Amino acid sequence: MKRPLQAVLLVLSGIGLLHVSLFTDLYLRYVKDWTRPLLIASGVLLLLLGAAEAWSLRGQGKSQEDGERHRHEGHEGHEGREGYEGREGYEGREGYEGREGHEGHGGHDHSSVPRTAWLLFLPALSLLFYAPPALGAYTASRQTAKPVVRQDDDFDPLPATSPLPLTLTDFTLRVQQDREQAIKGRSVRMTGFVTPGKRGGSWDLTRLVISCCAADAQVIKVRIHGTPALSANTWVTVVGTWHAGGTLGTSSAPVALDARTVSEVEKPTNAYMDALPLTDSR
Amino acid sequence: MRQADERTEESYGESYEESYGAARAVRAPAVTDEAPARGRPWSWPLLFLGAAVLPGAVIYVVGRWGDEPAAQAWRTVCLSIAVQATPFLLLGTALSGAINAFVPARVFSRMLPRRPALAVPVAGVAGAVLPGCECASVPVANSLIGRGVTPAAAFAFLLSAPAINPVVLTTTAIAFAGSPGMVLARLLASLATASVMGWLWLWLGREEWLRPTTVRHTGHQPGHSRWTEFRLGFQHDFLHAGGFVVIGAMAAATFNVTVPGSVLDTFSGSPWLSVLFLAALAILLSVCSEADAFLAASLTGFSPTARLAFMVVGPMVDLKLIALQTGTFGRAFAVRFSAATTVVAIVCSTLIGGTLL
Repeated sequence: MKRPLQAVLLVLSGIGLLHVSLFTDLYLRYVKDWTRPLLIASGVLLLLLGAAEAWSLRGQGKSQEDGERHRHEGHEGHEGREGYEGREGYEGREGYEGREGHEGHGGHDHSSVPRTAWLLFLPALSLLFYAPPALGAYTASRQTAKPVVRQDDDFDPLPATSPLPLTLTDFTLRVQQDREQAIKGRSVRMTGFVTPGKRGGSWDLTRLVISCCAADAQVIKVRIHGTPALSANTWVTVVGTWHAGGTLGTSSAPVALDARTVSEVEKPTNAYMDALPLTDSR
Repeated sequence: MRQADERTEESYGESYEESYGAARAVRAPAVTDEAPARGRPWSWPLLFLGAAVLPGAVIYVVGRWGDEPAAQAWRTVCLSIAVQATPFLLLGTALSGAINAFVPARVFSRMLPRRPALAVPVAGVAGAVLPGCECASVPVANSLIGRGVTPAAAFAFLLSAPAINPVVLTTTAIAFAGSPGMVLARLLASLATASVMGWLWLWLGREEWLRPTTVRHTGHQPGHSRWTEFRLGFQHDFLHAGGFVVIGAMAAATFNVTVPGSVLDTFSGSPWLSVLFLAALAILLSVCSEADAFLAASLTGFSPTARLAFMVVGPMVDLKLIALQTGTFGRAFAVRFSAATTVVAIVCSTLIGGTLL
């Protein structure tokens, strides 16, 4: 890869990173929110590297030209304009090899970046122009639900509000592990996106949770009965009661809900987490 | 014209050889990069036609295909691995550039024990100071070798750094809040694997497996600006390693999208198979070492030993790392080293997991 291209690649990568982390929230589709400062710093660093490279290429070309002049003519090369044109003349044929030869002297063959570096254009351009959406129903439908970490048996009494806002994790815990059966008969409200079921009828209210980047996404699901599924990846808030079956408070109880109302909501900005439903649901 | 160019280059090479007399005049085939710039007249209409039609067709096909849910998931996973790796890769390559340009070789010879067999475990423990994931450690290890550190010690550092640094141990403790033994087991098993691999290299390793360009890092040359050396080394290493990270990310994303997650539950019954299965899973998933503890904690169907194997193998061998090592040290090395590391890591985590967990 030629050195001007390397500079372009570095600058593009830097702008791409800054575009998704500093100017927009797109980075939340790919990584956890705490990585934002790291991404911004990386973007700035890449920009600086690219700028330095571009600057040095310019300077290097000039100084090389000056050197040539010194050798050939033996006087100060102050006619910058002419020198530049002269350089363009043979740059394409000899300039590079000459330069690499020079660096070879120092034992640094840094110009010989392998062709694989071209692949870096893919993520850089993708971030800038063709950013893929956050993971959703496709990924969720292909994974089994993440096992909810066992808590101690002391569940706090549920607040009296109705419908009660819950996260999908809390709902799962209450259904499968709360021996007091406090969730019984309660009307609860949860938010997630729609993952259509295999057959018609029931579907899954879903959240994807990541701990570092989207490659480690894990699924939390609550099966929804009683209402037809909206199209996949629609974000909804569901109000309903536990769908009876098995023994409540043991793992035989299904993590499922009889829905009373399903309303569409805005997709949350930071979607890869299991959060309570927003209060201003429509 | 071309002949003249080649002659210039040769004479450069010769004078270089003469003046330095060193074997490190390994010149990459720089000429291959340049296509002949002379355009043949008859190809111009074709070229114009191609330029007009091809991008449109590519955009159309990519757009049609790229909007399939599977393709979108693939792109998202691939991009997220690349984005997540970038800060750590920059950290690693900046460190490697700085080591090359600013740290004199005698610092390392003074810090490490003279006998290589002793230097290996010391370098392994030193891995604790590099707070990054695995992408950062490969370029650093490469520059350490360039600065005269014995390869065995550098490899011990390469393996241990992503597994035992404070950030990773902390996330492990958080993920396995209920079983503090897991942190200790991970620390010990990773250190043991790194040391055994270092000693194994001393015993069986051969220099010729390493790509000759590895010795590119020759440190500060008198008469050059240290800052320019730092910048050029940094830039070269980042672009070089970055390309290979993209390859690894593509491979991991392909696995992630094509293999359904429900496969996970298949092998959880048998204790022996489950260790091998989770080790293989760690290699294919290529999850960053700072996140793998959370994933391991969620694999509740598996024995603690199998989950330990997942966390010991993952930071040392995975698709992304194999690609990165192939790019840095050469394929002959990457294949042998990754295979041996996998075996050693599985044995170490089985032994230590069996006694501690």
